[in-house]
Amino acid sequence: MLPSAGIGLRSQHLDELLRISVRPAFVEVHAENYLRPSPSLEKVLRLRHDFEFSVHAVGLSLGSADGVDEAHLDQVARLVDRLQPTLISEHLSWSCFEGRYFNDLLPLPYTEEALDIVARNVGRLQDRLGRQVAIENPSAYLGFRHSTLTEAEFLDGLVRRSGCGLLLDINNVTVTAHNLGLDPADWLNELPGEAITQFHLAGHTRNVLDDGSTILIDDHGSRVCVEVWSLFDEVLQRFGPRPTLIEWDTDIPPLAVLLDEAAHAERALANADLENVALAA
Amino acid sequence: MLRSLRDTQAAFAAHLCGHDQPELVATIGGDSRTALQRLQLHRHHVVRSVGAALAATFPTVAAVVGQEFFGLLARDFMAGTALENPVLSRYGEHFAQFVAAKQDMHGLPYLADVARLDWALNVAFHAGLEPRLSAADLAGWPQDSLLSLSARLPTGSSLIESAFPLDLIWQASQPGAPVDKVDLAAGPVCLAIFRRLEDAAFVVLAPGEAAFIKYLCRGDPLATATRYASQVAKDFDPAATFGRMLGLRLLTSGTAT
Repeated sequence: MLPSAGIGLRSQHLDELLRISVRPAFVEVHAENYLRPSPSLEKVLRLRHDFEFSVHAVGLSLGSADGVDEAHLDQVARLVDRLQPTLISEHLSWSCFEGRYFNDLLPLPYTEEALDIVARNVGRLQDRLGRQVAIENPSAYLGFRHSTLTEAEFLDGLVRRSGCGLLLDINNVTVTAHNLGLDPADWLNELPGEAITQFHLAGHTRNVLDDGSTILIDDHGSRVCVEVWSLFDEVLQRFGPRPTLIEWDTDIPPLAVLLDEAAHAERALANADLENVALAA
Repeated sequence: MLRSLRDTQAAFAAHLCGHDQPELVATIGGDSRTALQRLQLHRHHVVRSVGAALAATFPTVAAVVGQEFFGLLARDFMAGTALENPVLSRYGEHFAQFVAAKQDMHGLPYLADVARLDWALNVAFHAGLEPRLSAADLAGWPQDSLLSLSARLPTGSSLIESAFPLDLIWQASQPGAPVDKVDLAAGPVCLAIFRRLEDAAFVVLAPGEAAFIKYLCRGDPLATATRYASQVAKDFDPAATFGRMLGLRLLTSGTAT
């Protein structure tokens, strides 16, 4: 797939996507929305004839000390087999403990022990699917005192041990850096850029904590903000273009708004100065 | 101090379930004044997002009681019913029983049946699309072999009997519905809930029709189901009923497995 811009597929837009001629380069589905039979799944399978797909799983809980839920993994594998997506991704997080799910991307302490566990779980996922999976940096609202690695060091270790790719969510970098008092440039410096296979862009909101400080919430409910577009340009300069997705999961707007955001990303990708990409230099 | 990943996740899970975890709070870096607040963001997100998923699965219940009250119901339900699957549309199988047990809280005797209808629509929506019998399929069949035909509701379909007019309550709950009051004395009702090409839907069945379908789904052939339905409803018209079922694409051939 050539580096170009796609959109997250929302059920509200399925019918319109089947009709329109101006189309995004690819669409991404959340795996867990299409594991059961439904009219929506049937439409997605029809769309597959005309669109490149990426599959983004949110419930495999790759950070779980319990390991991967094999029954759920089997269902995801069946969907991947049906859709034959260009890219598959999951998150550096956990959401399940002793059989109970929490429907959130929960934070991990970045320790060697956790790295062993996540690398084992990612390895199990890739073995089951028979292909590489990209792991996405999450949005962080807190850090653990007993972490011994930075997030980027953890991702670097994960790439080395499991052979996974990276999905660099640029909004998440912005959110995490703000919430934990980090410099996005420092965060990016430690990242193995050559492992990045996809970018995500999304909107966030801003809340105020009791001490008067602000915290950014990764809610995927608005347009990509200026700060994130600016960081995207910087990332393109550092690592070069990759397929880029516009995510929008709450307060879903008309399809035209998502396509407009994708067009913005397309322009940024086209304007990236490939001659001076830091990674390639 | 929490050291292992398992210990950290056990404490975090307990926190998300509403149990305070001072040891977990102590492991959160940065300003101690905001550590608990940062953890609470996750607790609130879980409650809010699972509550929203439940409201999406039970839209009629949510419309009847209002989003605010539904949030309270959902919070109570979540406290006692773990999410055991990351596929959110699977959550809520026992919500109708919960709603029935909470009648003191909401005071609506029909609400549990409304929840049963919402869940039945959810199950039907997530059923595979099986081929349906049509009048054209049966046009060439000899009359005597037609009477031995076995037919059933498609997978994911169900029948709901209620003392209340669930069809009218559902209609009144639709966005923009002109009706804001339902005559509860308009019940009882029997509904067949089934998957259509683009959605899930229900139809109201007359007593004879309901009996006819029940016996078909039990594995009885058309002739036997007709006989039983005629005993239930003296005015049962088998030809009209079978024609209506075929027109609705409500039946598939074969017996239930």
